[in-house]
Amino acid sequence: MKSYKELQNASFYDANARERAIAMVDKGTFTELLGPLDRFTSPHLPVLGTAVEFDDGTVTGVGLIGKHPVFVVSMEGKFIGGAIGEINGGKMVGTIRLAEKTAAAIKKAHPDEYAERRPMVVISFETGGVRLHEANAGLLAHAEVMDAFQDCRKKLPVIAVVGSKVGCFGGMGFVAAATDIIIMNEEGRIGLTGPEVIEQEMGKEEFDASNKALVYRTTGAKHKYIMQDCNYLVEDNCGAFHEALKEVAGLPMDKIEGMRRIGSPAAVAEQMKLVKLIGDMQPKDSMDMWKHYGNEDPAALPEMTTAEFLKVVKRRPRN
Amino acid sequence: MALQVLNFKFKTEAPKTIAKKWSHLGVTGSGDLEVLMEQKELGGAVTAKVVTPVKGFDAVWEKMLGKFVNDCHVGDVSIEINDDNATPIVVYMRLRQALAEANAKEAE
Amino acid sequence: MDEFDNTMIGRGRDAIEMIVDPGTFQENLIEGYSFDAEYGPGAVVGTAKMDGQDTTIIANDAQAFNERFPVVFGGVIGLEEGYKMATAVYRTMKADEAKPMSKKRPIVLIVDTPGNGPGKLEEICGMNKSTGAYQLALAEARKLGHPIVACVIGRAISGAFLCHGLQADHILALSKDFGTMIHVMPLTSIARITKMDIERLEELSTSNPVFAAGVDFFYKLGGVQEIINKLEDMRPVILKHIQEVYALKAAGKFEELGPWGRGLLGDKRGGRTHRLKAMAKMNEEFDAVADKYINA
Repeated sequence: MKSYKELQNASFYDANARERAIAMVDKGTFTELLGPLDRFTSPHLPVLGTAVEFDDGTVTGVGLIGKHPVFVVSMEGKFIGGAIGEINGGKMVGTIRLAEKTAAAIKKAHPDEYAERRPMVVISFETGGVRLHEANAGLLAHAEVMDAFQDCRKKLPVIAVVGSKVGCFGGMGFVAAATDIIIMNEEGRIGLTGPEVIEQEMGKEEFDASNKALVYRTTGAKHKYIMQDCNYLVEDNCGAFHEALKEVAGLPMDKIEGMRRIGSPAAVAEQMKLVKLIGDMQPKDSMDMWKHYGNEDPAALPEMTTAEFLKVVKRRPRN
Repeated sequence: MALQVLNFKFKTEAPKTIAKKWSHLGVTGSGDLEVLMEQKELGGAVTAKVVTPVKGFDAVWEKMLGKFVNDCHVGDVSIEINDDNATPIVVYMRLRQALAEANAKEAE
Repeated sequence: MDEFDNTMIGRGRDAIEMIVDPGTFQENLIEGYSFDAEYGPGAVVGTAKMDGQDTTIIANDAQAFNERFPVVFGGVIGLEEGYKMATAVYRTMKADEAKPMSKKRPIVLIVDTPGNGPGKLEEICGMNKSTGAYQLALAEARKLGHPIVACVIGRAISGAFLCHGLQADHILALSKDFGTMIHVMPLTSIARITKMDIERLEELSTSNPVFAAGVDFFYKLGGVQEIINKLEDMRPVILKHIQEVYALKAAGKFEELGPWGRGLLGDKRGGRTHRLKAMAKMNEEFDAVADKYINA
């Protein structure tokens, strides 16, 4: 195991789920809940002859950022693509519910210090959505997560962190969209329908899933940042994510509410304007949108480093 | 089709248990495995439980685990492995890493 | 479809007429708010009477085609459809804003959808937001007290079922005799992707509902509250569940409803018995360290 200091400088993209969980919170504060020693492996994989993992592919636990308890869910893409089944889906739901209960406990114990002790939920997504080996249970877990998110609304922030190999697709694509704030590194990708399925539906001439640059332009962090579907674009090291989370921990709840994409009539009205624009423009490529928002040389953006990009990029104005 | 569960027991000369009560390393990914080591009073022996989708490699597992226990003089430890098609070389390397982790002082 | 000559697949509009008080459905109207009739043609929204009570109806129109977003046909929920459905829910909440919980109107979801819009435009715009927006609106309305009852009349497939159905208080489904389909993927596709043997999967699916396709398995998992065996029963069973949901909410038993309630039901019916144990253990482990985090 890398030391905490090494982890802060290490690539987030290359870090495994446990390393990310430890590194996103303050040094030495992470307590894993339902860790490997509990051996809560999937009860459904053995009969199918599929390898199991002691944490069922998701690390859950609690740490601190300052005095803020941080309830962490961190998915492991190396284990069955980070897909969601009965146990790891339950761990995700259970962690969010614990955060909400803790918020109530803190309000009671420290009524005058809620702002500085307000808990948060941080989910490091690395998943394609439902685990097909236990598909029905995985599907039902997605609905439970959305329900639990709604219970956290306006009480405590729920943060999506996306910057690992698998990206965040399928049902977990809309779960990420339903959080308050999305933090990504340049390598992060979010979508609903995976590239292969789009190619299958539309034909290779419309969408070539093997074209990595195209896939990245459509689902990658720079596009999401321009479209306001990513709130913070950070460098690819664990420390950068930790810093962004520190900032978020201190933001007032009404400001956080305004950073959401969906979840209110006003947010939906704003998105409907975007849909109208896209319907009228019929963009052939995400770059058409980048240009529309004032990026004169859109083809240059993918080549830039994160720092260069942040300096020059023009984003969709929010109304 | 179901997963294979293999159980082994080893004994070596001058065995030493691990420093931590328990320790975990690795991810069950394709071609890889995770290792959970736990201190356990076994009269100096080591027990190993391997859960793997691969059939017919019991002897290879026994050999690699036995080599590890002998090379590193491990005793009074329970080892549990979840494997997903790791090669013997990866298995041996992960066991060594897992032991180093189990004996590591908390890093700064 | 010969074997299911009574199937309701593709008949969302017919289902509305079979369920509501005759002749009362007003499409595109919710308490004075008019929807643009051209917008999101794959989704049908409006107000009808159910036993004389104003009720919001949200259904799929599998016959419609969306010219601006050509992947939307056959009941697919596209960008416009998701936001139209979300708007219908927000307008419903607004309509009853001043009313007590017991007077908040029901929302009935009539479900026959094969998927969310799978296109390039959809990903450029962010289809995940559209489907997510509708789910959050439903969750909010459910927690405010509106009884939400979903009835699966045809296809409830994967993410589209999450979008339109799985945030309801209670979910009902026509029995498999009507060709009703509830699944993430058919077993043949699961076999292909996971490289597992189809015969073995079929054999296991008879005993393990967590990956088998179909209404009966979702019933066992708690995903479906009640199975409806006759078309003429749709209306009375939906009405019955609306009243059950009102009663549970009046008693403050929100946790017996919606996704969490379905989890409890799945445990009771023996289909999903492990997740609650995992969560109980997590809670126990947190309790042991809670002080350190609550009083940091």
